[in-house]
Amino acid sequence: MSEQLRESLSALMDNEANELELQRLLKQVGSDAELRATWARYNAASAVMSGQDVSHMQLDISSRVRAAIEVESGVTRETLKQRLFRPIASFAVAASVAATVVIGGQQLAQIGGAEPYSGGPVAASGASPVGLVNSLGATTVQASYGTEAIPVLQPAARTAYKELARQRMQMYMQEHAEHSALNSPHGLIPFARVPEIRE
Amino acid sequence: MTLLRYIKRLSLGALGGFLMLASLTASAVCPGADSEAIKWLDKMSRSVHQVNYHGVVTFQRGEEDMQVMQVSHSVTDGTTTESMTQLTGQGAKVVRAEHPLECIHPGHKLLRIGDDINAGECGVAEHYRFSVTDGERVAGRKAVRIIVAPGDMYRYGYVMELDRRTGLLLKTATMGRGDKVLEKFQFADLSYKGKDPEGADANLVHEAQHPVPGHNAPQVSAAGYGWDVKWLPSGFMATDSQQRNAGRKTYTDGLAVFSVFIEALDREIRPGEGVVRSGSTTSYSRGMALSGEPVLVTVVGEVPVNTARMVADSVKWVR
Repeated sequence: MSEQLRESLSALMDNEANELELQRLLKQVGSDAELRATWARYNAASAVMSGQDVSHMQLDISSRVRAAIEVESGVTRETLKQRLFRPIASFAVAASVAATVVIGGQQLAQIGGAEPYSGGPVAASGASPVGLVNSLGATTVQASYGTEAIPVLQPAARTAYKELARQRMQMYMQEHAEHSALNSPHGLIPFARVPEIRE
Repeated sequence: MTLLRYIKRLSLGALGGFLMLASLTASAVCPGADSEAIKWLDKMSRSVHQVNYHGVVTFQRGEEDMQVMQVSHSVTDGTTTESMTQLTGQGAKVVRAEHPLECIHPGHKLLRIGDDINAGECGVAEHYRFSVTDGERVAGRKAVRIIVAPGDMYRYGYVMELDRRTGLLLKTATMGRGDKVLEKFQFADLSYKGKDPEGADANLVHEAQHPVPGHNAPQVSAAGYGWDVKWLPSGFMATDSQQRNAGRKTYTDGLAVFSVFIEALDREIRPGEGVVRSGSTTSYSRGMALSGEPVLVTVVGEVPVNTARMVADSVKWVR
């Protein structure tokens, strides 16, 4: 199974596959056993989804995934033990994301080199019309607070993580806005940042 | 005799030097504390609670369409009632009723630093430099402009316009790297008197939550198992008391707010990170193993990516 197919499959799971990628997958899936197995594994990983209380999320990340899962038989229910021994609130990682990010299948590429941030040099502070010193505001310099470096991710995993961050923003923005509204000088206006306000 | 005079001169010189140094230190204690700005900040943090107003606010970020919302705020018998109704997009309404006037949350306390400065502490002026100039006209009102420059790379800058008369915050631009405007709030129309205009149609109504600061919910975790954020940018403090095993913790420095969420996963996660940004909001998710246990840590807030990353880096289990 080629790298290209793998990426197409990942894109499909992220609902981001284009027509060409879809055609390519459909054409191959009949004859490529490895592709079929990988596809099944991707879906099996989505078992994280099933049987969990996702009421907190109120996000419809599941519908498009479930449609795919129903085709597969690899869905397993969470065991009682798994449900009991969870120290804190735990939510499902969306299946499409789990498939690429969660370790378990050999479809996952190896972790790459040791240089986690290849961003260019930090921009020097330039002349500022309003006198703000923070020309560094949003830069991505390496965290200077000691931990392990973050591994370079393969494109599929990178896409999955970006999707994960996007879903988390959807999921958590309102709860964040509740506190932002009480602790910043804008009154209720921070709620305007919430992608979709829930009751 | 000559020697004595020499010693005298020397000690006088030393004394003079010491005095000079002392006065230098005094002005260097709170370099960001422009006294006029401090006065305005204080007024701003009070007016948002104490003044009756209603109006229309626009919100812009990046290339997105402008959002327009109706806001109203009124005070009766020591409690405030406020609402925000989206006139565009989703059309949701957020209300907060019966919020006691004396209920001051940490973010607002952080902006009232007059007493701190007299006591030799700089508070928020240690982390931002404030300066005041004449503002433009916003919603038909004369404004005073406060330029808020971040003191380090862990927070954004702001340009705020306050109503000269009431101190109400009329306009805020959040400034990122290279003085790029990340997002902008602005009153388009504002009135301090008269009845609220007819409420716009809302598709849904959300009642804003109100966690009481300093009140600890009973600990439910028998094991005392929890997590903590071990590094915060200077000047940030918790907005409310949280159980150690709660899924969220929120921090503010008075102007910026971010929340940290943790999810224990029931299988290994491939270590990595993902970021999305919208306006001044960063959502940073980080998959990792904490003492062998797979977790996903997400930082959501109005801080630069690097701040979110460093905060996520510092999450640890505690007992």
